[in-house]
Amino acid sequence: MKNIEELKLMREKVKQDLRLRSGQHRIKIVVGMGSCGIAAGAREVMNEFVTLIENSKRSDIIVTASGCFGFCAQEPMIHIYVEEQRPVTYRNVDIEAARLIFNEHVLNNRVVEQYLFSKGKK
Amino acid sequence: MKDLADHLFDILENSVNAGANEVIVKIAHTKSYFFCSISDNGKGINGQEVLDPFVTSRKTRRVGLGLPLLKRAVEDTCGYLKIMRIDESGGTALQFKMYLTHIDAKPLGDLSRTFSDIFFAWPELALKLFRIENDTEKLVLDFQELRIEIEKGQKDYSNIRKHIQEVSQKELRI
Repeated sequence: MKNIEELKLMREKVKQDLRLRSGQHRIKIVVGMGSCGIAAGAREVMNEFVTLIENSKRSDIIVTASGCFGFCAQEPMIHIYVEEQRPVTYRNVDIEAARLIFNEHVLNNRVVEQYLFSKGKK
Repeated sequence: MKDLADHLFDILENSVNAGANEVIVKIAHTKSYFFCSISDNGKGINGQEVLDPFVTSRKTRRVGLGLPLLKRAVEDTCGYLKIMRIDESGGTALQFKMYLTHIDAKPLGDLSRTFSDIFFAWPELALKLFRIENDTEKLVLDFQELRIEIEKGQKDYSNIRKHIQEVSQKELRI
């Protein structure tokens, strides 16, 4: 029999897991994964985001993939959707940029001008 | 594309773009060659035309390079890429073979990461991975099964990336 503290911890963990999977999220990161994106290193970038999200212990952020965004020369590109805000698109996102954007934009809601492609609907 | 793992991810993305929600991947891997067959239940492609870079169903851009690039990469090693359409059920089937001992062969790359990437990139996709060895097929990964196990709490979501990588690494090595 487990004690009450352990049970509480388990409950928190399951709740977090559930939220992660049931699509209840506040921030969505979409990585462009067309041929152009993959060739430019989008897989490393997506992996970095998965790791960053794991490390941040936030359960309201998800990362998914989409096809080509249509600006192949500027790949890897990402969209960031924050709830009730206009989406922001970044270009030439390498691993370093991914960390910067995650810390600034995703966690602190500050747009990173250096890699900015566009704000609002594309 | 740096390595075969990138190519594999790229053509699986084609399946998703074609509206597929079930994909079966079979891999035979020896010291001398890498063989892979992929079949999906998407909307299907025209076998001849798709290898022409200027044929694409996409609207964002008029050139499609995924399959032509893979074709070039495998043919550089005296391998082949074949595209078949499954007429009755819809969908696409393709297979390719790359000779790893050929001097122009691309590196394999980290195949296990391709599968964990796919698991996260497309949460709806039911992928099944088989390893072909000595004419027998062995089921290595079943994403649908994994998701059910997570749902039931038998597997931990936060460890799933590691799990997929470990299983595919163990099962796909020569």
